[in-house]
Amino acid sequence: MKKVVIALVGQPNVGKSHLANAISGSNLKIGNFAGVTVEKATAHFSKEEFAIEFIDLPGLYSLEDFSADEKVTKDFLLNGEYDLILNVVDSTNLDRNLLLSTQLLELHKKMVIALNMDDEAIKDGIEIDAEMMSHILNVPCVRVSSKTKTNITTLVETLTQTLKEPLHESKLIYSNEVEEQLEKIVTFLNEKRFQHNTMSNRQIAVGLLWQKKEIYALMHEQPLYVELQPILNNALGHVYMYCACDDIEEVIHNQHSAFATGLCAEVLSLKTPKSKNLTQAIDALLIHKLFGLPIFIFLMWGLFQLTFSLGEIPMGWIEEGFGWLGETLGATIENEALQSLIVDGIIAGVGSVVMFLPNIMILFLGIALLETTGYMARAAFLLDGFFHKFGLHGKSFIPLVTGFGCSVPAYMAARTLKNKKDRLLTMFIIGFMSCGARLPVYILFAGAFFEEEMAGNVLFAIYISGALLGLLAAKVLRVTAFKGEDEPFVMEMPKYRLPSVKLLWFVVYSKSIMYLKKAGTYILIASMLIWFISSYPQNSLIEESYTTKIEALQTAEPEASLEQNTTETSTTREEMISALENEKNEKLMENTYLGMMGKTIEPLFAPLGFDWKMSVATLSGLAAKEVIVSTLGVLYSLGDEVTEEDSSLREIIASNMSFASAMAFIVFVMIYLPCLAATVVFAKEAQSYKYTAYLVLFTFVTAWILAFITYQVLTLLA
Amino acid sequence: MDLSLVNTHQKVLIKAINAQNTLKKRLLSLGFCVGKTVEVLETSLQKNTIQLSIGFSSIALRFEEAKMIEVEVKE
Repeated sequence: MKKVVIALVGQPNVGKSHLANAISGSNLKIGNFAGVTVEKATAHFSKEEFAIEFIDLPGLYSLEDFSADEKVTKDFLLNGEYDLILNVVDSTNLDRNLLLSTQLLELHKKMVIALNMDDEAIKDGIEIDAEMMSHILNVPCVRVSSKTKTNITTLVETLTQTLKEPLHESKLIYSNEVEEQLEKIVTFLNEKRFQHNTMSNRQIAVGLLWQKKEIYALMHEQPLYVELQPILNNALGHVYMYCACDDIEEVIHNQHSAFATGLCAEVLSLKTPKSKNLTQAIDALLIHKLFGLPIFIFLMWGLFQLTFSLGEIPMGWIEEGFGWLGETLGATIENEALQSLIVDGIIAGVGSVVMFLPNIMILFLGIALLETTGYMARAAFLLDGFFHKFGLHGKSFIPLVTGFGCSVPAYMAARTLKNKKDRLLTMFIIGFMSCGARLPVYILFAGAFFEEEMAGNVLFAIYISGALLGLLAAKVLRVTAFKGEDEPFVMEMPKYRLPSVKLLWFVVYSKSIMYLKKAGTYILIASMLIWFISSYPQNSLIEESYTTKIEALQTAEPEASLEQNTTETSTTREEMISALENEKNEKLMENTYLGMMGKTIEPLFAPLGFDWKMSVATLSGLAAKEVIVSTLGVLYSLGDEVTEEDSSLREIIASNMSFASAMAFIVFVMIYLPCLAATVVFAKEAQSYKYTAYLVLFTFVTAWILAFITYQVLTLLA
Repeated sequence: MDLSLVNTHQKVLIKAINAQNTLKKRLLSLGFCVGKTVEVLETSLQKNTIQLSIGFSSIALRFEEAKMIEVEVKE
């Protein structure tokens, strides 16, 4: 087997990842807006004697590094090792896509052009003569559709065929005037019998005329450069004159553009006149001057309502299931410590996280719909004006929405922002967009402290206020830390597309599996750890002293009942006993490792109204936000063995926490640092420890201050 | 006249693009080019962003960027 590398290159949102998936059966991420792929991704596939590795590169409009993700592609194309370029082209937008293709042809690599989205083009009445195009360019062109999987096998055959053959020189030609000047330079080089071992003289001539630095460096070393220079000067002068333009970049662009337009005219035929298409009809409503924003807000509100209300139903079943599992398993285990570990540690901890799986699924389905239909770009369009006032860029919207799912991909999505300061600013406030992992905490607290009909609205309010706080923070950072020029807002609005059910299912399925995996590994271990440090060391002194107290009461009972045979006293006695039991459990827990730790940090959180259990939960939340819920689950299930009948964590929390501290807790969780994993990604993306330290400090201080205000105000009001 | 002054659903021809290096290149690679026809599809409420149709694609710009594109009304 021969190992070969094929680079998938094309403009953004032409379906490169989709095509790679269609060919190799892999599962690369797909969306419908520019900038879904921000990093190289690979897919493997073998055919005949070739073991093919597809490198899916971020889309780019042209070979100039406008933003960080485009730079990845350019660097790879210029310096990476690959055998063939598979240029993916959007057939419904051939003219513009060919601009990039012409630039790619100048790289002089083996190339195949895939005219993707052929199904859509046919619907739009666009017919492309691929055979003629192959002939004109001397590069194989294949009409394919990654959606309907048409011609995928033909494409693969073309790829292997091209890999076997030697490199054919493409037939990229420029205007007559430029060709004439090129000819002059080539003739001169030929006369001097100049030969380069990899480049033809024509390639060198083009490089010289286009003023490519590396070609200049190469030729400058040659003795013939002295004679070459006047010829070159003359040629450039002519080109500038013919093109009526003295900016070489613009000349190059005009040359490419003319070639692309000419080619397009040759091979493309429009069957039906271009009528007002579906996308424009939908846009007329969705980005309407007056209705656009209200529709957007309504859609977001609907998503959070659904997340809560629809997710509520299976959540009850899962909770009951874990409760039942705990009881049945608990009954079969004799060893008390083992029983506690499994029931109070593992089942309580993992169960409290798994419970929220339905909500997570709905939220991710919503985000996937936003990403794949093309609405994301519209929202950026609608919000840019608003965002701009806060010093953010309309495009920031995309990483910010991704942040509602998880901060890790959101930090990476910020790469589509060109300006470094815009990017950093966006990354700083991504944390304010509550990620999916915080959802369990919110649902738990919203359900515990609000009526069921209100909980969905509360959830929406939490997300919205988080986002608004983020905007305010952006403004503050913009006028203090990240002063600088605005990035221009130039964005393509993709066509609306209906995602396939399969794709949506895959997104939701993979996110669910990831969530369950996290629950089964990370959270399982965290739960066990928290169970351990909250159960040990076991303090026998406290245990004994309370046992004697309780026994004393119990033995006192018969005597008392002799004197006054009323039920009243026996109930007060029972109450006293249960109060003592509770006190015993509390005291026992406070003397464990975790209790001691909690007590140490309690003063720090006391002004926010947090007890030591909440303080510990916030700390453990640094590992992952779901751990907050599992920690609370373990802590409260250990402490509350007495109240068996209302064993639901939600009820325990409602009866154990004041409203003010609960709200302060939500505010704190909303703002403070996303998990450690996300912080590591932040550091990697920002390429700066300084900014990472700022992020940690900034989020903690803001979270503390705002939680403090919330707690104090609510306490005053109550 | 610059592009920011064009009414919705009016078709205009691009006369010049007065943008700086990177922005100019970006506009060129998105299909903006002297002599091309552009149609304004929609503007946002506060005249902040503008949606255009150019060739087969649809592009959103801010008004600041639209001001850099000189156009003339197509007869």
